[in-house]
Amino acid sequence: MNSIILGIESTAHTAGVGIITSEGKILSNQRSMYIPEEGGIHPREAARHHSDIFPVLFDKAFKEANLKPSEISLVSYARGPGLGPCLRTGATAARAFAYSHEIPLIGVNHCVAHLEIGLLEGATDPVLLYLSGANTQVIAYASEKYRVFGETIDIGIGNGLDKFAREAGMGFPGGPKIEKLAKGPELLDLPYSVKGMDMAFSGLMTAAKSKLDSGHPIETVTYSLQENAFAMSCEVAERALAHTGKTELVLGGGVACNERLREMATIMTEERGVKCFIPSKDLCVDNGVMIGWLGYQMVNGDYKITEEDNRVHQKYRTDMVEVTWR
Amino acid sequence: MIFRGAEAVVEKIKWQDFTVVSKVRNKRSYRHPELERKLVVERLRSESRVIEYLLSKGVLVPSLYEVNTEKSQIIMEFIDGITLEKGLRTNKFRDYLISSAILISQIHSSGIVHGDPTTSNFMISGDLYAIDFGLSSFDDDAESRASDLRVFLESLEAHHSEIEGREIFLDAYSEWKSSGEVLKALEVLELRGRYNLMRG
Repeated sequence: MNSIILGIESTAHTAGVGIITSEGKILSNQRSMYIPEEGGIHPREAARHHSDIFPVLFDKAFKEANLKPSEISLVSYARGPGLGPCLRTGATAARAFAYSHEIPLIGVNHCVAHLEIGLLEGATDPVLLYLSGANTQVIAYASEKYRVFGETIDIGIGNGLDKFAREAGMGFPGGPKIEKLAKGPELLDLPYSVKGMDMAFSGLMTAAKSKLDSGHPIETVTYSLQENAFAMSCEVAERALAHTGKTELVLGGGVACNERLREMATIMTEERGVKCFIPSKDLCVDNGVMIGWLGYQMVNGDYKITEEDNRVHQKYRTDMVEVTWR
Repeated sequence: MIFRGAEAVVEKIKWQDFTVVSKVRNKRSYRHPELERKLVVERLRSESRVIEYLLSKGVLVPSLYEVNTEKSQIIMEFIDGITLEKGLRTNKFRDYLISSAILISQIHSSGIVHGDPTTSNFMISGDLYAIDFGLSSFDDDAESRASDLRVFLESLEAHHSEIEGREIFLDAYSEWKSSGEVLKALEVLELRGRYNLMRG
């Protein structure tokens, strides 16, 4: 039977409500992003934004999908990892909706959802290069779990870009602003830090800022910054492909919206002879659709909903997820 | 071809009547040409220097025969055996884990970090050999050494989860007299990385 799933996302900046069918048809993908007036994300303010906006997003989603709440057969929300206040807001919205309409509720892992939305794009057993604000990971399925094969050992790539942008006076979110400014082909010598399958971004961001301070044009600095940061990420993804022997790459996370990153990943996979799946931008960023899709995969597989599904989990690591549905 | 790695093609070839290993770094056209050039030269140089130094210290690594910067090629000894990754699936996995810990501590005590000591970068041929020094460097920082340990332990977890190898490996590594600082750094690294940064 074709069932309809409601997915709710609220791990960080973005509140998202998605509606997707068990066949993978997206009926609505509503999102709203909290943008701080200055500085970085403030978890409680972000949570307030989410709780204000959720009713609006629900309305819009049901209107767009042309559905009644009673037609939903499963509610799925992101249990974690994420910021406590934000997670709790999403969980509360999900619980309230599920209980009042007597629909089963499942809590899923946000990072795994970024990977599994790649399956909707046609991938079967991919390596995920997941680049967002706080998350910079290379994930793949091995020995009955999703495992992190490589990641940042200091700051997340997106947070690093945001920090650079903030210090350079560009505002939030920094990534798209950096992308717009970046202009080559002149390349400045900046740190390139890959250790095994792990990478580090902190030194790169600091060095880029000091290049800027020493008078190099912002176009060249942002260009060099992107060239280094994305090449590092692609190298680690390539190492994971070599190590696991897998033949598919999926991109995910907000930074995966960057055209230069997409281009690099495409070239890398072509040269390696593996397939590259790049979800559309509104499925790369945090969204409710992927949460709904993963929830359905789990329930349709062998996953049993328990009391645990009611609880948020701020440090819900990728490899903590018991994978029973594959 | 033996292996098409992330950045090099490793092949078994005939060279002056010997069977040897040729490692050619292939161009990565996704990288900016200047960045590519910088990395190739840097990594080729550091790899050959490290191997020569480890050989001089008597650490078990393949002998180095020729380095060609133009072709970005290294020619070295062919170690005829199985990878540690395969070896760990046999009933001698304990012995192999202990040998790997000793070998890594020898590399570290020579003032070098390997940079990518996954289980596919060790060969068993009677003794255990460390191969692929493409990401290695002269570095005696405890944190860099700890990062080596983490790369090794991760490749254990990801590929040999059935084996509780961590304890055996770290026990053997801790026999090295300077291991204390490294193991402390490993704790800090693990807190900072995988286990703490996974937020939304």
